[in-house]
Amino acid sequence: MTPERFNALVDAYGADARRWPVAERASAQDYLATVPEAAGAALAEADEIDALLHESKAPTVSMALRDRVIAAAAESGLKAGRAGRRWLDKVFLMAGAGWAAAACAGVVAGLGLTTHLTADAQADAVLYQASLDAADDMEWVG
Amino acid sequence: MVARKLPRMLALAGRMLGDPVEAEDVAQEAMLRAWKQAPRWTPGQARFDTWLHRVGLNLCYDRLRRRREVPTDNPPDRPDDGPAPDRGLIAADTSSRVDKALAALPERQREAIVLCHYQELTNIEAAALMAVSIEALESLLSRGRRALRLSLADLRSGADGES
Repeated sequence: MTPERFNALVDAYGADARRWPVAERASAQDYLATVPEAAGAALAEADEIDALLHESKAPTVSMALRDRVIAAAAESGLKAGRAGRRWLDKVFLMAGAGWAAAACAGVVAGLGLTTHLTADAQADAVLYQASLDAADDMEWVG
Repeated sequence: MVARKLPRMLALAGRMLGDPVEAEDVAQEAMLRAWKQAPRWTPGQARFDTWLHRVGLNLCYDRLRRRREVPTDNPPDRPDDGPAPDRGLIAADTSSRVDKALAALPERQREAIVLCHYQELTNIEAAALMAVSIEALESLLSRGRRALRLSLADLRSGADGES
């Protein structure tokens, strides 16, 4: 890690090491530990901007918006919110208990192989999976 | 999914568009599209969250493009660069000041900061969504942050004590 690269990193991503690119994080932290005085100025400046950015409050989701989203999904003939249970029922009925067990374990990869599922059931299955904590770690195609 | 993803879509659209009503419309539409397109998803390339960001961003791009093409009687709020006798009152609402400074950034700089800082996407994800190289993303981030620092110079000492 060169001083120039460290400054560029901090300039772009800020002072919080958790925001630095994973591939360079360790070497940047090593550099910071080695020459704290040299790195300090860039870090302090970046910290000021981070602090300002943190002042912006994220908008909160109103109950009205949440209800509108769910109602709009229902109007489109799709299942929303409480679809999880119904999804499980459908999967058991249409694809068999074995596939459902795999899906419940977080394996949606088999979705494409299950040709008997209707489009709605597939949507429910994918989105139900997306609602689970582990879903963000899975790979999806856009 | 509504509980986890709707706030993220609303935050994305809110900061990209700077208009709470349009942001709600975009967030709602992004969620609906996610439902509708779910049957066509297959495992492979992008996280669900990243895919949803692409949907939300495209909707934001559409709105921003429409704004450029159709002059409106009610443009979104922009910071007042002129003399501001009530600067003290404005500064009291720091969040609003920061939001306005963000809204005043060039579109791509704002997008880079929203994706990396607020939405906490990785640099690889953000660069892919913006269809730019990592180097270009870093340049946009740096320039955007520098511009914010300048436009919010009067708030810096106050913000230091609050974070």
